[in-house]
Amino acid sequence: MSGLFGTLSVAISGLAVSQQELETSSNNVANANTTGYSREVDDTEAGAPIVINGLTVGTGVVLEKIESLRNPILEIQLNQTTQQQSSLNAQLTQLQQLQTQFASSASGIGADISNFFSSLQQLAPNPSSLELRQSVLTAAGNLATDFNTAASSLGTQQSNLNLTVQQSVGEINSLTSEIAGVGQQIASLQNAHEDASTLVDQQTNLIRQLSGLIDVQVIQTGNGGIDLATSNGTALVTGAQSSVLTTETGTDGNAQIFANGHDITSSISGGSLAGTIQIRDEEIPNVLGQLDQLATGLSNAVNAANVQGFDLNGSAGGNIFSPPPTGTTGTAATMKVAITDPSLIAASSDGTAGSNGNLSNLSAVATASVVAGQTPINFYSNLVFQVGNATSNTSGDADAATAILQQLQDQRGSISGVSIDEEAANIVQFQTAYQASARVITTIDSLLADAVNLGIETAVQ
Amino acid sequence: MRVNPYPMPDLMAALNQSELKAQQAALEISTGKSVNMPSDDPTAAALLVENNDQATINASYLSDLTAINGQLSAADSTLNSVQTALQQALSLGVEGGNGTLSDSNRAAIVAQLQDIQSQVLSLANTSYQGNYLFSGTASGTAPYAVDGTAPSGVAYRGNDGINQVSVGNGYQLGINQPGSQLFSAAGNSVFQALNDLITAVGSNTGVADAVTELNSAANYLSVQSVFYGNALNQVQSQTTYLNAAKLQIAQQQNSLGAADLSFAATDLSSAQTDTQAALEAISKFSGNSLFDYLR
Repeated sequence: MSGLFGTLSVAISGLAVSQQELETSSNNVANANTTGYSREVDDTEAGAPIVINGLTVGTGVVLEKIESLRNPILEIQLNQTTQQQSSLNAQLTQLQQLQTQFASSASGIGADISNFFSSLQQLAPNPSSLELRQSVLTAAGNLATDFNTAASSLGTQQSNLNLTVQQSVGEINSLTSEIAGVGQQIASLQNAHEDASTLVDQQTNLIRQLSGLIDVQVIQTGNGGIDLATSNGTALVTGAQSSVLTTETGTDGNAQIFANGHDITSSISGGSLAGTIQIRDEEIPNVLGQLDQLATGLSNAVNAANVQGFDLNGSAGGNIFSPPPTGTTGTAATMKVAITDPSLIAASSDGTAGSNGNLSNLSAVATASVVAGQTPINFYSNLVFQVGNATSNTSGDADAATAILQQLQDQRGSISGVSIDEEAANIVQFQTAYQASARVITTIDSLLADAVNLGIETAVQ
Repeated sequence: MRVNPYPMPDLMAALNQSELKAQQAALEISTGKSVNMPSDDPTAAALLVENNDQATINASYLSDLTAINGQLSAADSTLNSVQTALQQALSLGVEGGNGTLSDSNRAAIVAQLQDIQSQVLSLANTSYQGNYLFSGTASGTAPYAVDGTAPSGVAYRGNDGINQVSVGNGYQLGINQPGSQLFSAAGNSVFQALNDLITAVGSNTGVADAVTELNSAANYLSVQSVFYGNALNQVQSQTTYLNAAKLQIAQQQNSLGAADLSFAATDLSSAQTDTQAALEAISKFSGNSLFDYLR
């Protein structure tokens, strides 16, 4: 028998715990829409029993801790999937922009090539016609212009990506700095044995945002602290310190990313930064390189055919296209028609104005393997396929990653998400318990009055 | 098992998907194309480039055939006129060989023969759209000039060149015969024969031989002229063939890249239905919770 005061303290513990439980539920409900919030549950236990006169009696209820429900493995998976998805989405956006250069089969470089050879073909029955010759030069001009435009667009896309890289690095730096700050706060709270759940949620959220930008791995250090690094080991956050990433313009004019003096650009493997770099440093140069190859092959072959013949004045033919620069790079951007006088097209094979004998050499370029073992049109159609295929594949991969991400988020929601209905039911439960404990206290109060005023009827005031 | 209490992101994603499908279908219908971007169908996109090239080549062959037809027809009808003139010359020649003719009669025949000679010269120098038809590849130079010192009375100023034009894959067609092969071939020269006949009638000697010579030259010309008739036939049959090919190429383009409008319309309609359904489902999540029922 612990006495009435003992019973009172048991009831008070019940009251206090119910009140805390109500507060926890209320906190959950208030944070129902907070991103990254993990719902809290109260971990209560029966108080350690004491032995009085050989009887073991309970001592009420004790709140052990307030637990945030989250699954750390799921967080890792979410981070990884976010990194993949962000990289793929970044690539997809750029590829969709890139492929607009190749959208139409009735216009663009492919159609220009066909039209150029068509204009040569139509010159054949009447090779001395200045009008038909001018059509050839016009078609050649259109072809060169479209090469220039395509190269220019790709170049612009590439330099815009440099701005994106710089912006992303800025965002990364600001996030890592924030994460380090929060980490410090968490550490000091945990050292004081206080609950840092809210801050942990905040930190998790920041890390998720960071995953959207770069491939970040979370490394658990002692005392619940974390370090952040990229998957190839570049430190981003060490304890309470964040490492700053910088950008420098490289020799190719592109922004390179540096950490601690080391160029880490090519080692970034996740997040939108990886996708942006992939497009800027691999895809765009690949397409530009192929356009340069095509322009070079065509220019050289057409020029070589023209010099075999004679122009309208009986002189030996010269170049129709300006000769490509050595090394091929930049041909597409600088391709020009080298002549403006239509009489300089060397249609003749015998020096007379009416001969079309050399036109067959010029026309043969259309069906000869003049670009990497392929005809000009085959080479171009392959390029169209490559671009379309890359875009289509990336789109499929991005959709798949998004689906996985959604599923993981659903899982996270099922563990950590606040269910309003559930909290409502809990509140009813805690409210009832609170009311019951209060009732007990009221009862004890009147019992105490009875005990104190033994025998004398008194009203409790 | 506890379910995710926030299905909203999933519902929004599903709504997004069905709206995307609706947009795709609408784009197909409005452009009439199923391949609007290479990523829609990379293989078809590549094949469409090739197809467009084939269509362009085909069109240029057809255009050439029209141009060639004009040239060949002009040459062919000119040669017919030459034959008519030569037949007239032959009858005059036979008449001129009649021993009973007076000097003035013979002189009259000579005058007529000289007219025919001029006519044939003029016909041989016919040009079509600014180019001489019978100079070989020297189409800017008149093939025949009067030359008093030459035995035939004319000098050939053209060359022997023949222009070939490609009218199909690997199919070359010669489009001209040089005058040197038609009118002034060695031993079969129409000009030489006409000149000889004029001389013969004028001097009343060897007229019969001169008539034979002219007859032989006219026959030779006739045989050489067959080139033009043949070429015109080839132009016609190749045109027919290419027109059929044009249809095939157009059909192929259709099957590669044209939208199947009935499918696209169905897709659009079902995507719109899905969107509606998703919107209604989302609106059902009106935010009712247990709190509304606890009073």
